[in-house]
Amino acid sequence: MSRRILIVDDEDDIREVAQMSLEMVAGWEVIPASSGEEGIRLAAEHRPDAILLDVMMPGMDGPATAQRLGEDAATSAIPIILLTAKVQAADRRRFEGLGVAGVLAKPFDPMDLARQVSASLGWPE
Amino acid sequence: MSGSPPARVLVAGFGDAVAGFLARQLRGVTVETAPDAAAARAELARGGWALLLVDDAIPGGPARDLLRGTEPHPPTFLCLERGTRASLTRADLDALGVARIFFHPLDRQALVREAGAVLGTGGPSPDDPRDVAAAAGEAKRGALADAVRQAWERFRGAVMERVDAVESAAVAVLEGGLDEESRRHAEREAHKLAGSVGTFGFAQGSRLAREIELLLQGAAPLGQAEALKLTDLVVALRRELARPPTPAADPSASRERVAAPPQAGPATGARLPLLLIVDDDAELADRIAMEAGGRGFRTRVAPGVAEARAAVAEERPAAVLLDLSFERGESGLSLLSELASRTPRVPVLVLTARGSFTDRVDVARMGGMGFLQKPVPPAAAVDAVQGVLHRGRDRHACVLVVDDDPLVLASVGSLLEAGGVKVHTLDDPLRFWEALEEFCPDVVILDIDMPRVNGIELCRVLRNDTRWGATPVVFLTARAGPETVQQVFSAGADDFVAKPIVGPELVTRITNRLERVQLHRALADTDPLTGVANRRRSEELMGQLLNLAVRHQQPFSLALLDLDHFKQVNDQHGHGTGDEVLRRVARMLERSFRAEDVVARWGGEEFLVAMHGMDKDDGVQRLAEVLEVLRDEPFEVPGAEPLRVTFSAGVAQYPMDGGDLQALYRTADATMYQAKEAGRDRVLPAGWTAGQPSTAEHVDVLVVEDDHTLARLLLHALETRGWRSRWIADGREAAQQLTGSRPRLRARVVLLDVDLPGMDGHALLRTLARERVLERTRVIVLTVRAHEAEVVQALEEGAFDHVAKPFSVPILLQRIRRAMRA
Repeated sequence: MSRRILIVDDEDDIREVAQMSLEMVAGWEVIPASSGEEGIRLAAEHRPDAILLDVMMPGMDGPATAQRLGEDAATSAIPIILLTAKVQAADRRRFEGLGVAGVLAKPFDPMDLARQVSASLGWPE
Repeated sequence: MSGSPPARVLVAGFGDAVAGFLARQLRGVTVETAPDAAAARAELARGGWALLLVDDAIPGGPARDLLRGTEPHPPTFLCLERGTRASLTRADLDALGVARIFFHPLDRQALVREAGAVLGTGGPSPDDPRDVAAAAGEAKRGALADAVRQAWERFRGAVMERVDAVESAAVAVLEGGLDEESRRHAEREAHKLAGSVGTFGFAQGSRLAREIELLLQGAAPLGQAEALKLTDLVVALRRELARPPTPAADPSASRERVAAPPQAGPATGARLPLLLIVDDDAELADRIAMEAGGRGFRTRVAPGVAEARAAVAEERPAAVLLDLSFERGESGLSLLSELASRTPRVPVLVLTARGSFTDRVDVARMGGMGFLQKPVPPAAAVDAVQGVLHRGRDRHACVLVVDDDPLVLASVGSLLEAGGVKVHTLDDPLRFWEALEEFCPDVVILDIDMPRVNGIELCRVLRNDTRWGATPVVFLTARAGPETVQQVFSAGADDFVAKPIVGPELVTRITNRLERVQLHRALADTDPLTGVANRRRSEELMGQLLNLAVRHQQPFSLALLDLDHFKQVNDQHGHGTGDEVLRRVARMLERSFRAEDVVARWGGEEFLVAMHGMDKDDGVQRLAEVLEVLRDEPFEVPGAEPLRVTFSAGVAQYPMDGGDLQALYRTADATMYQAKEAGRDRVLPAGWTAGQPSTAEHVDVLVVEDDHTLARLLLHALETRGWRSRWIADGREAAQQLTGSRPRLRARVVLLDVDLPGMDGHALLRTLARERVLERTRVIVLTVRAHEAEVVQALEEGAFDHVAKPFSVPILLQRIRRAMRA
């Protein structure tokens, strides 16, 4: 089944690889956003099935973006998966406390990203 | 579609990713690209296109002008920036022949749908079950891998800029000028590198970047040691990124890594180094495992020696953190010696709550690479592991390339970096001198023809400078005539390479130069006679070791040793023999003090040993053992009596005996002279005093033993360690000397044989207890038959310890040290 995924990451390279990965492996439609603000706007506009959200971004970071998305009725039901290069367990626990659907580690394997997203969301593969 | 030629689609002004995406999604279609307006115009003129996709912001554009200028044109999709639509009406678009407009960011699924409709191919239906099945197929994987590779080629420059930022931070630390803001910036860049390069197939690159990030994190000031480590890491990262990426072949490997629980079980994910933590403190082991997991280790925890042995049998760990004492089962020492004797050796760091006592010495003797005193913060433990694993990595060779052509700089840079050489490039010859100071290159590569100052002039300037006069210079030149060659060599160049540059040739030429430089450097760092570090190099290394000890709050000791009567050796046996003796002492020291320590010869017959994690008593113990071996193995001299060589040594400890290397050296030197005065052939700790004037004679150890041979052996071993000792062979005489209202002899420790003439050991012990001598004196009973009853009796009578005969002298010495410290 076709899904629409919003990817919010300020790094062009990572955003592009994640997009290619989800499009080519899973055939999902991907909407890229390069900042938290843009992500919030595009989320309200396109109502994606899920949001992949980078944690460390200039300006509005991932947790702040997640909070704003949660406060807006239009986007509060969209599951969020955080993408983070922080690997300390304490950080991961903190992120999991944000009410997100999952936390995926950076660097990710492009071959496996779609599967990880599906697994985090309980989507059938 | 079969039979007809494939429809041709032109993608203009987009990256290859969009073209690749369309080609893969639209079956039976050929997709070609045009990077800019001029190319697009030329392609369109050739005709035969079924569809044009063009970015409005195409270089040389805008695309609208391109479309106006090329009539007729194929069905066209125009991609606009959001917000530009207002300036265009439908009529405008029709006039331009635009069939469909898209906006950035491009909705690729919509694009495929629309393109499929125009081309009549009917794009893929994402809901098609066959398609979903194919999603897992190899073809898609291959296509994705290609796309990721292409993306890497495009983003590589931006990624390398991040590496540059981190490197500048390292350089700033070296110069003492890394401000907080730059540090945070570099930390963020490292964090991004850690999170990204692994995705492009550089898993090791991500690990290196993570290590850099961790070094930069926090507020602790960064010193020279960190700067060097940073530089090493950056060099390794550059080298890693210069390689072709290796995408994870098996997705399960990366899944394992991502989800790796701290106490990851059996070997998975192949490439990460395995750290084995042997400790029955589950909480600490887990915390260390978590920390190590964050720094690119796989970890495995073994709660005891038996489990550890099983784990090692299964997979050789990169390093082992080993607790020495367990609630149950055997001590860690046996495992330590097993691991250290393996080839190749498994580095073991010992982690223990046991007092430093003799453990440090045991650990060092058995080949332990580090000693950590509990409680130890997990970060410090992993630091130590990484320190051990990094030790021995050489400083990388560094090349400065000066050329006003950025393309030459880039290609020379990447060629050499791929060969593991660190490269700095400079496009402005006027900044040459600054760059020399900044990068301290081992080799300089110069272009001949540059504006303002040419390469030949730079080379002359370099040759006239005392500091850089010997640095090899290689010219890059487009002119290779005999005149140029002559000019280049007369300016003092070492070599020249003709442009255009042929990769392997340049790399070989430069590598040759670097090898010679490194050879010279090795010679400059080494004492030519003995091969140990010379004064210059050892001061540098010892400084680093001292800093490390200060930071990790570990003890640090410096020993100075000087051969006894060495002039006589030279006078009587000739300087050739003297040199042989020096070489042998150096080899013994190198064998006895391994990876953690620095052994150096500072000239004449004087050697220095810097010991990490050792207090001076431990240091005395280790050097005394070297002295005993040296003494017991006479030196064969042809046609003469075997030569017995001894030395005198002093050991000083930071900070009580000196606040820096110089002060420690002075104290160790003064102590060494005390050892000479006390009769040579011994090792003394700083602060040693020759004896106190008093009515009673104070000794450290009194040996009460009727076996003359054994007694002499013991006395010599005690003196070697600077302990004042006396020997009494008769029980009754010992009682008379030690007791009474004004005893003639006071001893800190008595070694008491049980079978004695005059009064046996038990009776003497009871006398000492009754006379309250045991309040200030500890007695170690030397039992013969080791009957349990005898041991119990001795302990009940007030003995502090017992050692069964026959004993090994080192073990007895350890027990004496323990008795003295108790």
